[in-house]
Amino acid sequence: MKEIFIPDRAVIREILNENKQIKTFRLELLDKTHPFSFRPGQFLMLSVPHCGEAAISISSSPTALPLIDLSIRKAGKLTTAVHALQVGDEVGIRGPFGTFFPVANFHGRDLLFVAGGIGLAPLKGVIDVCLFQQELEENPVQQITLLYGSRTVADIAFSQAIEAWRQQGVDCQLTVDIDELDWQDHVGLVTDLLKPELLTKDTTALICGPPIMIRFVIAQLSEMGLSDTAILTTLERHMKCGMGLCGHCHLDGKLVCVDGPVFTYAALKNLHVMELN
Amino acid sequence: MTNSIGELQDADVFLVTGSNTTETHPQIARNILQGVDQGAQLIVIDPRKTDLAKQAHIHLALRPGTDIALINAMMRIIIDENLADELFISMRTENYEALRDFLFRLDLDEIAAITGIELKTIRDAACIYARSSKSVICYCLGVTQHCCGTDNVQTVANLAMLTGNVEKEHGGVDPLRGQNNVQGACDMAALPAVLPGYQAITNLDTCTRFREVWKREIPQNPGLSLTEMTHAGADGNIRAMFIMGENPVLSDPHLKQVEKTLTNLDFLAVSDIFLTETASLAHVVFPAASFAEKNGTITNSERRVQLCQQAINPIGNCRPDGEIIMELGRRLGCPGMDFQSQAEVMEEISLLTPIYGGMHYDRLQENWGLQWPCWNRDHPGTKFLHKYYFSRGKGQFTVTRHQEPAERTEKHYPFTLLTGRGSYHHYHTATMTRNSTRLVREYPEALLEISKEDCTKLHLADGDLVELNSRRGKVRVKTQITDRVQPGTVFTSFHFWEVPINQLTVDAMDPRSKCPEFKVCAVDLKKVCHD
Amino acid sequence: MIDLRELILPKDQLLPFLRKLKKESRLIAPVQNNYGDTLFTEIDDLDAVKIDLCHQPQASLKPFLLPQQEILASYRSDNKGYRFYEPEEEEDTIYFGVRSCDLTAVLYTDLVFSQPVKDSSYYKRRNQSTIITIGCNQPFSNCFCEATESGPYLEYGYDLQLIDIGEAYFVSAGRSKGADILDKWSYFFRSVEKEDREKRYQLLLEVRGKFNKNIQVSHACRLLQEHEVEEQIWQQLSSRCYDCGGCAYVCPTCTCFSVDDTPIDSNKGLRLRSWDACTSAGFTRMTGGHNPVDRRQHALKRRFLHKLKFDFAEHGKPSCTGCGRCIDICFGGVDITSFIRLLVKGERA
Repeated sequence: MKEIFIPDRAVIREILNENKQIKTFRLELLDKTHPFSFRPGQFLMLSVPHCGEAAISISSSPTALPLIDLSIRKAGKLTTAVHALQVGDEVGIRGPFGTFFPVANFHGRDLLFVAGGIGLAPLKGVIDVCLFQQELEENPVQQITLLYGSRTVADIAFSQAIEAWRQQGVDCQLTVDIDELDWQDHVGLVTDLLKPELLTKDTTALICGPPIMIRFVIAQLSEMGLSDTAILTTLERHMKCGMGLCGHCHLDGKLVCVDGPVFTYAALKNLHVMELN
Repeated sequence: MTNSIGELQDADVFLVTGSNTTETHPQIARNILQGVDQGAQLIVIDPRKTDLAKQAHIHLALRPGTDIALINAMMRIIIDENLADELFISMRTENYEALRDFLFRLDLDEIAAITGIELKTIRDAACIYARSSKSVICYCLGVTQHCCGTDNVQTVANLAMLTGNVEKEHGGVDPLRGQNNVQGACDMAALPAVLPGYQAITNLDTCTRFREVWKREIPQNPGLSLTEMTHAGADGNIRAMFIMGENPVLSDPHLKQVEKTLTNLDFLAVSDIFLTETASLAHVVFPAASFAEKNGTITNSERRVQLCQQAINPIGNCRPDGEIIMELGRRLGCPGMDFQSQAEVMEEISLLTPIYGGMHYDRLQENWGLQWPCWNRDHPGTKFLHKYYFSRGKGQFTVTRHQEPAERTEKHYPFTLLTGRGSYHHYHTATMTRNSTRLVREYPEALLEISKEDCTKLHLADGDLVELNSRRGKVRVKTQITDRVQPGTVFTSFHFWEVPINQLTVDAMDPRSKCPEFKVCAVDLKKVCHD
Repeated sequence: MIDLRELILPKDQLLPFLRKLKKESRLIAPVQNNYGDTLFTEIDDLDAVKIDLCHQPQASLKPFLLPQQEILASYRSDNKGYRFYEPEEEEDTIYFGVRSCDLTAVLYTDLVFSQPVKDSSYYKRRNQSTIITIGCNQPFSNCFCEATESGPYLEYGYDLQLIDIGEAYFVSAGRSKGADILDKWSYFFRSVEKEDREKRYQLLLEVRGKFNKNIQVSHACRLLQEHEVEEQIWQQLSSRCYDCGGCAYVCPTCTCFSVDDTPIDSNKGLRLRSWDACTSAGFTRMTGGHNPVDRRQHALKRRFLHKLKFDFAEHGKPSCTGCGRCIDICFGGVDITSFIRLLVKGERA
C-alpha cells in the first residue's frame, strides 16, 4: 500500500525575496524515480522540520519543472521556520493536491486575473503557462489582464514576474491602499480597477486574495454581467492532510482540498462560504 | 458544598453567584443546566455576562464588589413579602432579630443605586429564590476574592437560613472548589490555624492527641496565610520556603512584592510537575509525579474522598508528592515519615481526623468513595450537610454591611479590572494546559475583554494591543470586544506569563480569610502604537 | 465465492474457542476492570479476566483502529538531509464482543478512509483485523441503533456475529475470514436446528420493542435534505456547547484528525496523528486569524450536518450509529438527539 503520509524530499535551489514578508522558494525533488507533475492552481503539503505541514499553493508553471516554486508569506510557526531556511536546505513535500484552473478550456478566451497580496501566488502559474502556450497553440489565450492590489508600495510582491509579464504583453494594473510619495500608479482598492471595459464576451475571471476582496470582486463581476461559470476563485483553508481525510477544510458538505481549492462561482454560490457572505 | 453534586439537578431554583460555572466547573454546570431543562429557575449574580448568565432567567449584573448590598436587599424584600421561613429561623438559628432590625433600616433605592440593578429585578430574584423550598446557592471565587470575602459568604449563608434553604437534599449553600483536591488539602489542614479535619490548634485535647501520635510539639499559634508569606517582602522573617504545586510568581496579587520575597529567601525549594516560573527561581526543584503516575486520594467539592489510581509509571525521575515529603521529612529527622502504603496513610488520617474517621482505604475502593463526615467504619458517609444541626449548634445570623472595594476607580484609573479564569482551555497559570498542543491552539494568548462602548470611546479595534496600568504595574494585552463585560469594566485571565496581570492587582485582603481581592482594582488603558 | 455459514456454539465452548483464537493473534474483548468500567482490553490471560458481554463498552473500537494518537512517520533532520520513515507493521488482531453499532461505525470508517485515497495508516491495522460481533438482546439506556439502522442485529459486515439464544450462540459468518474460522474450528460448533432459527427471530422481535429512546433519525435526515436549519436552532445549541470535544472523541464515526510534529531532540521527531473535533474554533482557524466557522453561532453545525445531512445524501444512511455515548458525555445537554428533537419539533411548530 502506498504510504500516503510520507513526504518526498525536496531541496531549496533558490530563494527570491518578493517583499518583506513573502519569499519564493524554488524547490527540486531529490528522488527522480517517481514522475512528478501538477496543474496550476494545485497545492502541496509542505513539511518543515519539527513544524508539521501546511498547505501551500504552487506558484510556478508546470513548464518550469523540475523546479517548483512555493511563495510563502511569513505568518505562523511553520512559515516563520521556512523563512529561516537557506539554499541547499531540505524540506518535505506531498502532493500535488486539489482541483486546478482548467487551462485547456481557456483557448481563445480573454483572461482577467484579480489578486490581492499573496493571492497572486496560485494565479502566477496560470499566467505563465498561458503565456507559454500563446507561442505554441493555434488558438491561444487572447488578452491577459492582471489587476493586483497591495496594501503599501513596499508590500508589492512578485515585481520580477510582473515586469516579465508586461514585456510579454500582459496588461498589468497595480494599485496600493495607502498612497506614497513616489507612487505613480493607482491608489485605492483593487475593485476600483474593475472597469466594465475590461470585460469581453469571452472573459474568464480568476480571483484570489483576502476573503473580503474575493467577496467584493465576485459581486462586482457578477453585477457587470460575467456568468457564474466564468468566475473562478481559489480558497484558502486550514488543512492537515490535503487528501480529503482530516476534515479541517470542510465547506458545507464539500472539502476544499479535493473539491477545491479552485471553484467556479457557480459551484460556490449555493454554499455557505465565508468568502461570499 | 453542603449538597452533593448529583442532588443539584433536582433543585427548583439555582442562585449562582460569583461563579463562571460552565467554564470553571463544567460538571456542576451540567447538573444546573439539566435542572433548568427540567424547569428549574436560574438566577445568576455576576458583573459579567458569562455563558451561564446568558442561560439565566434573571441575570443580576451587579457593579463589582456590591454583593453584600444586593443580597441584603434580597433579604429585606423576602421579609417584606412574608417569605421568610419563620419556623426554621426559630428552631435552628439565632440572632435573627439583629439582622431583621438592620435590614429594616436599609434604603432599597440606595441599594439599587449602589449595585446598579433595578429594584424590580432584585425583587423578582428574591421572590423566586424564597418561594421555592428547593433553592440552591452555588458560589465561587467571585464571592470570596474580595476584601469583604468572609462577609460575602456570611451574607449568602444569611440568605439561605432566612428561607430555610439549608439542611436538605435539594437546598443548600455550595461553594465550588477550584483544584481537583483543594478540598482535600484544606481538610488535611493546609491552612494556618487548624489541624486535619478543621480541628483548632487552640484546643488542648486535640493537640495532646496529635502530639501523642506525631511525637512532636504542636505549634500553639496559627501560622501565616499564603499571602502573608508570599508578601512578607525582603525584610520579612521568612528565610526558607518549600512550595508544592503552586505558582505564586504568577498567581498571587501584587507580583512585584512576591518576587521580592522569593528572591530574598536564603533557600527556596519547589516541587511541581513542570518547571514553572516559580520553580525557575528555586535553589532546588523536585520533579513531581502527575495524577496519572501515582496512587492516593482526591477529595472533591462535594466532600467525597475518592481513590486516584496510578495509570502509568512515573516518567523520568519524578516522584509522587507524598514520597518527596517523606524523604524530606526523614532527612530532616522527622519521626514517622515511613508510610509503606496509601492504606497506612489513610489509617493515620482516620485515627486523627474525626470527619474522616471511617475512611479506610479498603472502603474507598468500593463505589465512588465516601463523603465526609464519615465518623466510623460503619458510617455510610454524608450526602448533605447540616441535617438536624449546624456544625456550631444553631446557625447564627450575622449582620453584614456593604463595603466598597479597597480601590475605587478615579480620574487616572477609570476602569475596573476583574480577573479570573479566561476560558475552558487553560487552568490557573497554565502550567499544565500550555503543554497541550490542542489547548494552546484553541486559546493561544491572553485577551482583555472590553465592551464595544469603551472601545468606541477609546478608538480601539478588536485585537488591538493595549497597555493596562494600575498603581502597581502595567502589562500589554490584546483586546477582545465582547458583550460579556459592562462598559467601565474590563476582564482578563491570569493564565499567561506574558501578561502577568497580577502585577496590577491589589494586595488588600480579607482580614479573616486572608483571601486577596483579585476581583477588583482600578486601571487605565491606552492603545499601544506599533513601531 | 464467500461461503456464508451459520452454526451454533454452545455457551460452554465459548472460552475454549476463544483460547484457540488467541493462540493465533492478539485478542481484544470487553473486560470489566476493578472499578466497574467495561472497556475493550487486550487479553493476556483468558482465565484472569472476565469478558463482559452485559454492558456497553465505554469506548468503541475507534481507539484501536484509529488510535487517539498514532505515529504516522518518524523523521530525522540533520546534515544528511530531512527524511521520513514509515512506522512499524501491525499485528493480526481479533476483536471479540463488538456491538452492532460499533461495527457499523467501523464499516463507515472503512469507507471514509478509502476515498478519495486509501488511508495507508488506517488500513494497515484494519487489514489485520477480524471482528466478531455480539447482537444486542437488551438495548442500553441511551441506545437508539434501531433508528439509525445499525442494530440491534446486523445483516452484513461482520466476520462473525454471535447472537445469544439462551444456552448457545447463534453464529453467522458474514465474510470469508469468519467462514475460515468456522471451518478451522468446526468441532466446537453444531449445526443450526429449526428451533434455533425461531428463537433468534423471536429474540429480534422482542429486542426491537425494548428501546428506551425514540429518536426520529431518518425523518430528521430527510428534513435536512429539504430544508435549511433555522439559525436560531444552531445558536441555541452553540450557546450550550463548551468545546470539550467529548462528543467527537467518544463518537465511533468521528474520524477528523490533526497532524502535528513532536520533536524528540533537535535532529529527530515523530509525526503524530491525533483525534480532533470540528466543534473547536482552532479546527478551522487559519494562520493569520480568519475563521470560516463562527463557533459562537455554529459550533455544532458541521458535526450534525455531516452526520445527518451530507453522509445521508452520499450513502443513503446517516453516520450516527445510535450508540448513545455522546448523550452521557455532553456537559451542555446538546448531543445529536437533542438536535434531532429540536429539528423535528421545529417542523411541527
